[in-house]
Amino acid sequence: MGLLSILIFLPLVATLLILALPASAKAAYKYIALGFTFVQLGLSLYLYGNFNASLGGIQQLDAYQFVEQLAWIRLDLGTIGKLEIDYLVGVDGISLPLIVLSTLVMLMGVGASWNINKSPKGYFALLMILNTAVIGIFSALDFFLFYVFYEVMLLPLYFLIGIWGGERREYAAIKFFIYTLLGSVLMLLVIVGLYFSVINPATGAHTFNMLHMMNPANYVDGSFFAHIANYHDVFGIPARLVGFIVLFFAFAIKVPIVPLHTWLPDAHVEAPTPVSIILAGILLKIGGYGIIRVCYSIFPDIAADTNWWIALIGVLSILYGAFNALAQKDLKRMIAYSSVSHMGFVLLGIASLTAEGVSGAIFQMVSHGFLSAALFFLVGVIYDRVHDRYIYHFRGLASLMPKYTAYVAIAFFASLGLPGFSAFIGEAFVIIGAFNAESMSTGVPRWMAIGGSIGILLSAIYFLWTLQRMFFGQTRLQGGVAWQEALTDLNTREQVILFPVLALALLLGIMPSLIFGNLNASVLQLIDLIKPYL
Amino acid sequence: MITLTHFLVVSACIFCIGLYAVLAKRNAIMILVGIELMINAAILNFVAFGKYDKLNYGGQVFALFAIVLAAAAVAVGLALILNVYRHFKTINPEHIHELKD
Amino acid sequence: MLLPLLAFVLQAALGKKSISGNIALTAIIASTIISLFGVFLPIWNETTLLQKWTWFTIGEHSLHIGILLNNLTALMQLIVCIIALPVHIYSRSYMKGDPGIHRYWMYLSLFCFAMLGLTVSLNLLQLYIFWELVGFASYLLIGFWFTKESAVQANKKAFLINRIGDIGFLVGIGLVYANCGTLDLSVLFNPAEALLPSDKNTGWLTFAGLAFFLGAMAKSAQFPLHVWLADAMEGPTSVSSLIHAATMVAAGVFLLCTVFPLFNSTVLLVITLIGTLTALSAAVFALGQYDIKKVLAFSTVSQLGFMMVGVGIGAWDAAMFHLATHAFFKCLLFLCAGAVIHELAHFKAKTQLDIDPQDMRNMGGLRQIMPKTFICMVIASLSLAGFPLTSGYLSKDSIVISAYEWASQLGGVYLLIPILLIVVSLFTAFYIGRLIFKTFFGSFKYHTVFEAGTPFHEAPKAMLIPMFFLAAGSLFPLFGTSLTDYHSAWIIHALETTTTYPALASAHIFIPVILTGGAVLAWFIGWQWYVKEKYPLSANNPLVRFAYKQGYLDEFNDRVFVKGTVGLSRHLYAFDRRVVDGMTTFFAWFVRQLAVVVYWIDKYIVDGLVNLVAGTTYYIGHLVRHVQNGQLQNYLGFALTIVVLGILYLLIK
Repeated sequence: MGLLSILIFLPLVATLLILALPASAKAAYKYIALGFTFVQLGLSLYLYGNFNASLGGIQQLDAYQFVEQLAWIRLDLGTIGKLEIDYLVGVDGISLPLIVLSTLVMLMGVGASWNINKSPKGYFALLMILNTAVIGIFSALDFFLFYVFYEVMLLPLYFLIGIWGGERREYAAIKFFIYTLLGSVLMLLVIVGLYFSVINPATGAHTFNMLHMMNPANYVDGSFFAHIANYHDVFGIPARLVGFIVLFFAFAIKVPIVPLHTWLPDAHVEAPTPVSIILAGILLKIGGYGIIRVCYSIFPDIAADTNWWIALIGVLSILYGAFNALAQKDLKRMIAYSSVSHMGFVLLGIASLTAEGVSGAIFQMVSHGFLSAALFFLVGVIYDRVHDRYIYHFRGLASLMPKYTAYVAIAFFASLGLPGFSAFIGEAFVIIGAFNAESMSTGVPRWMAIGGSIGILLSAIYFLWTLQRMFFGQTRLQGGVAWQEALTDLNTREQVILFPVLALALLLGIMPSLIFGNLNASVLQLIDLIKPYL
Repeated sequence: MITLTHFLVVSACIFCIGLYAVLAKRNAIMILVGIELMINAAILNFVAFGKYDKLNYGGQVFALFAIVLAAAAVAVGLALILNVYRHFKTINPEHIHELKD
Repeated sequence: MLLPLLAFVLQAALGKKSISGNIALTAIIASTIISLFGVFLPIWNETTLLQKWTWFTIGEHSLHIGILLNNLTALMQLIVCIIALPVHIYSRSYMKGDPGIHRYWMYLSLFCFAMLGLTVSLNLLQLYIFWELVGFASYLLIGFWFTKESAVQANKKAFLINRIGDIGFLVGIGLVYANCGTLDLSVLFNPAEALLPSDKNTGWLTFAGLAFFLGAMAKSAQFPLHVWLADAMEGPTSVSSLIHAATMVAAGVFLLCTVFPLFNSTVLLVITLIGTLTALSAAVFALGQYDIKKVLAFSTVSQLGFMMVGVGIGAWDAAMFHLATHAFFKCLLFLCAGAVIHELAHFKAKTQLDIDPQDMRNMGGLRQIMPKTFICMVIASLSLAGFPLTSGYLSKDSIVISAYEWASQLGGVYLLIPILLIVVSLFTAFYIGRLIFKTFFGSFKYHTVFEAGTPFHEAPKAMLIPMFFLAAGSLFPLFGTSLTDYHSAWIIHALETTTTYPALASAHIFIPVILTGGAVLAWFIGWQWYVKEKYPLSANNPLVRFAYKQGYLDEFNDRVFVKGTVGLSRHLYAFDRRVVDGMTTFFAWFVRQLAVVVYWIDKYIVDGLVNLVAGTTYYIGHLVRHVQNGQLQNYLGFALTIVVLGILYLLIK
């Protein structure tokens, strides 16, 4: 059992342990969860430290690291052929930073759930299952395995929102579940289609191995998704395009793009703070990761054809999300919409198909991962105290909660792309990459880059406006004296969680090479994979 | 002469009587009886068609097999009815509607 | 350069415990010494020092951070240090006793770090980072008194308008990177690398040039993006003097000088036009102000317009020269104003009078009370107005003369630009004269209260020393040995730029004469209006009677010219506030409304569609649920029906 498997299944051990303990050991659950996630973080950092940055990955199995391959399901299906499903996990420069991010955000999530009193056993057990699924998604290289983890992830989230959420939690949970399921069910169809189109060159059997799917030579001539000599179509649309669109749709719901984003604000607003943190910090990244790992790597030809549209969607998401964030009166909803806007940068960067843009997009994912987690955590702090987060109900919090204000201000400025913080590097390189796209003739015009940069301006507007409305000026609170007493400044636990995150944002903003270094080879490999089709 | 058709007609009649009993009777025992009738109709068909398999006697063998199964099924069914009676104090299926959503 | 950063971190860590600002002060003193002896003297006119470290690699390109020291950057960094030092000393006294003083020193150190970083950046991206950081520090300092609503509004406005410029800058960076593949200034402008196209009239170069100019426009408060600067006066005066007069606002000019080789003639013309427009409009606005700091703010805007013109006509050495001299005298003006405001604020606190300590109508006659401040102020004002013997005379002449030479080569309507510049210079002399007369001459409005024994005195020593230092810097000897010839100033000498137009000897004579003469005239008129007018009552001696008679003329002047000018300037100011500023507000409102509409669409149409799909599915489910009634026999019957229907279908088919 390799390190990666240990990383994936460690939380499952925690789940079993939590389930096995009697209810009288209630207080121990959170410590178990905390301990295990802490070990995970250490493990992932160890992996990160031992990563060989010169190996690219993407479509070459021998360039992946920490690979484990076991035959999982082997069935002889007679005339149809042999069913070949492997337990195949491994990491490259694109997935590893996201794994480290996941373990970090998970740790934050556990830290934020310190005050959960409603059936903690189920809560922490589900949280740990979610943890397994997430790490699994980022490291799976077999499409079937990927799909299994993808579905396993949905279930705990549904219950976490549906049971521990706010007033309209059932509505939000169902909306979230149905929306995501819709995407993944369609994805299953494409997976099966790909399975029948691709053979493993070594055994001659059909395979679910993603890496084999990335090599055009492995496609059976005349099969549904064949690279060359493909006459299949669906309603007149070429089969490969359909496959790409369906997969993109599945992941785009997760990202989320406009107009498939409406589950996000509802889910965020109703979810408890830790789940919001995990949703924003990890789940949205699965969308972006999926687009890179699956859509762009398996369908590079289509990716090269459609990137104009994808960039357009990205720019639309940026601007649309920002405008909506500006109109919000609920702080949490505002941050949810800002996530839509910031994830639009990821899409724009990926679609630019330049090394700068793609690296920027991945950097932006990592940076948005912990910054949005920090933002949701900060909203949670104020909601914990007075159970209200309506922006107009607060005024002049700076005099009342100076430390809290300082953290909020740093998080806001970091999110709006102040240089020195990580979000700036991500956004700036997405924009630079998008500008560069025209020089590399990847088909993304420059006005889109300008559109994206207007998004940066808009994000400054809504963050500063909120900052001014809630924190500055004379103190005036909706709840009067009762609130004034309830609104105590940050306690040590909260600071212990927030400080490392914001320090990390600063560290990555000053030394982006910490991520770019490991990322570079993989990104160049990806660009090389797509370049022939441009 | 009694042809295959005659067997089939009789079998169909028995089947329909059984079906009627299953759908319309207000007593679980009678429903069980109806099920038995339907199985017997099937067994009759087995035997009747058995004439085409003179080498292995497949029809007769399956008939015996089915009779044994039917006996087992009746035993299980009666046990179920007994338990249902204990639980609901009735064996009228109209009064047992816990399956409803 | 890193010292202020260290100071910032230290003070952030110490929190409330560090209130004296000693750390910041030590850091800035050390920085100044290093920048003078360690950087400026070895670099100036000697070598170009280049140091770089690989920052990170992205794709196939590596980005370096590093330090680029040549004449331009060494000069700029010296100016920043030399201006920052007196302001730090001044602040110790000015900000004494403020409850948020620890934050003040923290922010000030952050600003110094960012500004110094900006000056020596090797790489455009690095420059951009510091560019935004100075904006951020300025945001923090403008909103220093964050419980004051207007201050918070002002800092938001400042940051947002700067953000507009930042986008321009970023777009410019993107274009340069996309077309040249590097952001390294030393590589980009190295003729040997030939990265820039030889024909400068390509489309992207124009676009990139305009984008960079947009960035500079916001930072250097050029029309119509100047609206933030007047509001930014909500910050402490010491901050205004350092950031919003001497250093940060000049960063735009510095940026344009740095990327000067990028500009083609179209862009330069735009820069010249905007610069002239800014200089003119701001000077007119300054005439109508009563708030002492706002007069100075508009004056800064106007002078920045001059520098822009200097860049636009290609004489960026003159622009840098004016930047250097302007840094001294404008900073001094602000510090003097700060001293006055400081005393008036104390006066207000002591007497419980409800007055605005920044309103010039509440001042007057302060010459006797604060003589040293008065002298400093006069020196700075003379320099601003461009009188001989001052540094302002040299630098302003250099721009106007260059503009004239430039225009006379092109001829025609281009001559309008130097003429407008001369008019602006006269306005400048007039409004600064008005400021002096209103503040220091005449009689103090609250004389009676004052005489009742309320202490009202000269500024403390810690404030005066920096002022004297800057006053010395506002005179000519610091910049050149010659009284009249700006060509001999060492800054111009070292930054020697090649201009395409011939020098005109005659311009060197008549323009200074016009300027000086005009300025004297303007001061004279100002004197008549603002000082003499105050004494119409002691009408007995002949001189005053003559002045009184002059008074009729005054009234005529008052009605026709002053009222007209003031009215015009009021209207223009109103235009500025209502239309230009209103456009910003309207735009903000429009964006907000748009956001509401978009949200409505999102909620009812986009989300509505989603709910419709879900609803339809639910309704179909509702239809067939009746089958599920829990009756076993019904289930069977249903199954039978379906089977029979199926058989029927098979039969019929």
